Amino acid sequence: MNQLIDRREALRKTALLMGAAVSASALTGILQGCKATPELTYTPVFFNADQATLVSEVADIIIPRTDTPGAKDAGVPGFIDTMLKDCYAKEDQDNFLAGLASFDEEAKTAYGDSFIYCKPEQQLEFVTKVHASALTEAKANREAKRPFILMAKELTLLGFFTSEPGATQVLQYVAVPGSYKGCIPLAEAGNGKTWAT
Amino acid sequence: MWGRQSYRLGDMDFEANAKDGIAIDWPVRYKEIAPWYEYVETFAGISGQAENLPQLPDSKFLPPMDLNCVEKELKKSMMDKFGRMLTIGRVAHVTGPLGHNQSPQRGSCQYRNLCSRGCPYGGYFSSNACTLPSGERSGNMTLRANSIVYELIYDEQKGKATGVKVLDSETGETVEYYAKVIFLCASTMGSAFIMLNSVSNRFPNGFGNDSGELGHNIMDHHLGVGAGGQMEGFEDQYFYGRRANGVYIPRFRNIGKDKRDYLRGFGYQGGGSRQSWSSLVAEMSIGADLKSAATTPGAWSIGLGGFGEILPDHSNQVTINRDLKDKYGLPTLLFDTEFKDNDYKMRIDMANDAAEMLEAAGAKNVQSYDRKSQHGIGLGIHEMGTARMGKDPKTSVLNKYNQVHACKNVFVTDGSFMTSAACVNPSLTYMAFTARAADYAVNELKKR
Repeated sequence: MNQLIDRREALRKTALLMGAAVSASALTGILQGCKATPELTYTPVFFNADQATLVSEVADIIIPRTDTPGAKDAGVPGFIDTMLKDCYAKEDQDNFLAGLASFDEEAKTAYGDSFIYCKPEQQLEFVTKVHASALTEAKANREAKRPFILMAKELTLLGFFTSEPGATQVLQYVAVPGSYKGCIPLAEAGNGKTWAT
Repeated sequence: MWGRQSYRLGDMDFEANAKDGIAIDWPVRYKEIAPWYEYVETFAGISGQAENLPQLPDSKFLPPMDLNCVEKELKKSMMDKFGRMLTIGRVAHVTGPLGHNQSPQRGSCQYRNLCSRGCPYGGYFSSNACTLPSGERSGNMTLRANSIVYELIYDEQKGKATGVKVLDSETGETVEYYAKVIFLCASTMGSAFIMLNSVSNRFPNGFGNDSGELGHNIMDHHLGVGAGGQMEGFEDQYFYGRRANGVYIPRFRNIGKDKRDYLRGFGYQGGGSRQSWSSLVAEMSIGADLKSAATTPGAWSIGLGGFGEILPDHSNQVTINRDLKDKYGLPTLLFDTEFKDNDYKMRIDMANDAAEMLEAAGAKNVQSYDRKSQHGIGLGIHEMGTARMGKDPKTSVLNKYNQVHACKNVFVTDGSFMTSAACVNPSLTYMAFTARAADYAVNELKKR
């Protein structure tokens, strides 16, 4: 609970620093391209199609499909879309979209194309680089504005690890434990993985 | 949802005001209320560990919940190095046979930690799960929903209250209900509002307010102060199930030879936990590495948050504001309260003692805190004292049976009767006094 409150406070502070929202039409204009758009696996209610695609690809880089399902498999992009629409204040929404636009601008500077049209290996390289520098900055300056990549990561992890695939296949979950054992060997705590909750 | 933490007050608490010369003396001592604690504990079911501490009398307990590994470590260290007790939280959860058949609808705690949704098993004590079903089975209960009691009806000729006025929050209609005996148990501020809003020739300053103490002496528990840290080791140990409970550290300050520069003391609530995926937001890994990291339980952390006793002070008060109406057109309450020096002095110990005990137990990166945002009475949501009980009608609103001194057929049994706050969660005490007051009222009625 405290973490959620802290996140809200962090977002609020960030929003004050970020200023005005990005123009959605401008973003759409930038994203006009000739390459095939990656498939969108849900119908967004908050994002436009290009924003939704970008968030979807970023989420799936943060939590890819391995021998267990990934972010897209778990419906995380739709979760993020709904969270932003239903649970975020206007200023937090604006902040997220502005951060998303900056992220895409940086991608264009680096690769000459919008993020969603970059090659998968470029997308992975870019997300890895942006994420690493964002964390370094965040650790150096705790008051600094929260960049898009960390907001997206937070929502991706929240959505994924509270989803059925995330909670039951990557972590472990028991709906009705029925008892509490306070201090037992890790190996005897179910399958020994982290409890989802 | 209520926090379910359930602790008895002890002799030390009931004698405190008299010994310290603070406010007025409680008209009750521990031995008088102890059987009523046991009565409500038996009905509700209180899980906990008997520790035989003079400052925190044991309840009649259902089996205690387990401590986890790092909590056990802290417990041992605290006893070895400070002679201080750590015990599992005493909590109104069914952890074994209740020992009575008054609540056949209840099951036991399933350790889901979803109490905030309302327990479908009746695994914790609540009105919905326990007392209302019992009331319904008695055949004597009428439950009227959407009812805002806003005024007591006082009969000047008879010198008694004859009923209450009710506003239906859905229809806006007002209805009057009449009774021989009236129990106000509307919450501390709720009962204070009803009484302040009930004026008559006899009670121009609020119902039963001959003393001028109605609405005054507001107390709470001050919190938002403590410490936390990481516990190294224990990587190969974990837990099973979700315990909706933490640990409790009973008061140790100003007890025996310990003397501080403030009065009274505090307890801690807290616990150990093991980090999960949320800590990975701030970690470098993404992709398959992140998923892999998430499967391994993270570092153990442990935290203690203080609950401090606030002294009764006449200047901490609530008054009725007839100029500002709420959406139902009823007057509102105006609060004028603040922490006093005693609270601020106590908070220094509350932060430092927690940090010291955690460090002594081997915790790393221990950080103490005193959140300025929680410097306010009411933030502990343990508001008490607006119609305190006492021996003298000149200085108190209620007598020792929670009966309004000046109008004997009205009883007030929520937190407003509290003469001092102690440092423990107060609900169990309200329950015990309510049961005792009801028993007293029934006996008085039978005498007629």
